[in-house]
Amino acid sequence: MSRSELDIGLKVLDHQLLDKNGRRCGNVDDLAIEGGPGEVPRVVALLVGPGYWGQRAGWIGRLAGWIGSGSKVRVEWSEVTKIDSAVHLRNDATKLGLGRGDDRLRPYVEKIPGAGR
Amino acid sequence: MRTLSSLQKRKVETESGRLLGRCHDLRGELTGSNLCVTGLCVGKNAWFQHLGVRSHDQHTVVPWEAVVRIEGKRIVVRDDATN
Amino acid sequence: MNKIFGLALGILAAIGGFVDIGDLVFNTAAGATFGYQLMWVIPIGVVGIIVYSEMCGRVAAVSGKAVFDAVRERVGFKAALGALVSSEVVNLMTLAAELGGVAITLQLLSGLPYRWLILFAVVGFAVIIWVTSFNWLERGFGYGGLCMLVFAVAAVKLGPDWTKVGKGFIPHITQNNPTLYAYFVIGLLGAAMTPYEVYFYSSGGVEEGWKPKDIGLNRANAIVGYLLGGTLSLALMIVGATVFLGHGIAPQHLGTIALGVGDPLGKIGLLLAIVGILFAVGGASIDTVFSGAYNLAQFCGWEWGRYRHPKGAPRFAVTWLVLLVLAMGIVMTGVDAVVLTEYAVIFSVVALPLTYVPILLVANDKAYMGRYGNGRLANGLGLVYLVLIMVVALTAIPLMVLTNAGQN
Repeated sequence: MSRSELDIGLKVLDHQLLDKNGRRCGNVDDLAIEGGPGEVPRVVALLVGPGYWGQRAGWIGRLAGWIGSGSKVRVEWSEVTKIDSAVHLRNDATKLGLGRGDDRLRPYVEKIPGAGR
Repeated sequence: MRTLSSLQKRKVETESGRLLGRCHDLRGELTGSNLCVTGLCVGKNAWFQHLGVRSHDQHTVVPWEAVVRIEGKRIVVRDDATN
Repeated sequence: MNKIFGLALGILAAIGGFVDIGDLVFNTAAGATFGYQLMWVIPIGVVGIIVYSEMCGRVAAVSGKAVFDAVRERVGFKAALGALVSSEVVNLMTLAAELGGVAITLQLLSGLPYRWLILFAVVGFAVIIWVTSFNWLERGFGYGGLCMLVFAVAAVKLGPDWTKVGKGFIPHITQNNPTLYAYFVIGLLGAAMTPYEVYFYSSGGVEEGWKPKDIGLNRANAIVGYLLGGTLSLALMIVGATVFLGHGIAPQHLGTIALGVGDPLGKIGLLLAIVGILFAVGGASIDTVFSGAYNLAQFCGWEWGRYRHPKGAPRFAVTWLVLLVLAMGIVMTGVDAVVLTEYAVIFSVVALPLTYVPILLVANDKAYMGRYGNGRLANGLGLVYLVLIMVVALTAIPLMVLTNAGQN
């Protein structure tokens, strides 16, 4: 395998996403691919969120996804800067719509004293 | 538009009906800002191989050009795909 | 010099941290029921947890990933989801048992009503974890747990028949009541090989940024810590055997277990025993609740970390708070803490293969581990324990049913 070749399911799928600040903002739950037989298919986007769990694990996945709020975020492949043990993104998590759960909870958590020591 | 997960686990058969195995991963080429799919990783004991019980380089890679069509629960490739 | 000091502190913390409520209940009960006949199971359990921890620690050092990160990436989403759900259920049961244990020891010390103490304990933990830096937390509970050494002192002072004790190390099957004997074998192994300890250890390793060069030191730390902790388990069994067996007492209450120390060492011994149990079980509660939060956060890709401020990892913080509340709910129903402990240990043994198998696979994966993958020793032991774990997992529930959870 030449250096730029990789097994996509192995190296990208289910890996941690890190935004430009190194913040953890989800795992790669699936990948969108465009192009079929006779063309050169490209991975066009990362699919992130519990809403995509149903297509990975059947009814259990759907149930777990529903419990997890069922959110779906699509991140264009152009946002990816580097792939090593994690998938690194060019932008801020918030700008990409990722890590919303943490952002939504943060104001409440911050109200409790001692949260930001 | 397809998803990677929808391609994984599908049976890979030749046009004449010979079962090559299951698709458990896609081989890709990363260039600049593009990730292109170059082939299918096909293995008999797909589950085991994905888990890394055997080394990843040992499965067969079927070049994407050999894919004829994708239908139902399977991927059909040309008869000469594994040459 | 500083490194040796740090290592010594780490080991001390590990001794206090090794024993949790499962060990307390099963080791003394085993001694009280079968005398020294089950001593041989403890070294097997200790080696088992060393093998399991070592692999997880090495995976963390080489790949920078904790257990559930690695499990989700390598084993596939569906299997990882199954492992997650089962480990969260088991974790919650274990946490409830530990909290019950804390409340009982507080009751022994204060005489206040049990249910109020459960609330007090949970609120206390929530505040302490929220506000205290994790290093102080670990040290505090680790050193407090050293009071458990009083059990080792008691075991010696009780003057057991050391020849009989020695014979107990030779694996054998008893003639009377083999089903109950087998149940205890399973319980002892389950109490020794607690999965939450492994999740906690590997997540800590990732947070501390272990690199391959740290493997040796951490391996040594873990081995020595677990070995010393294992001797505490032996002491518990000896105390159970010498104090309770002759009198036909089955220690169904933590207070009884502590009394085992009060017998040879008087009031001070009893007090130290109760304090030791409080800190050991309390420390275990913290490890358990963090493990539950780690597993969920890692599976979902959230920010996580014991050294993080809650506002840096809000969902992680809320998760451990919610787990504490849920566990409190379970304990408040009034279910007996010892019974809850037995169920927690047995269920954790049943779920053990679901995370052990993936880690064994990941530790062997050259793509992940490079040249640090399992060698012959690690794989030899890894496979032996795999077989053992599968056998134990399959027989645990039938044995629990047959022996009516050891009530035979």
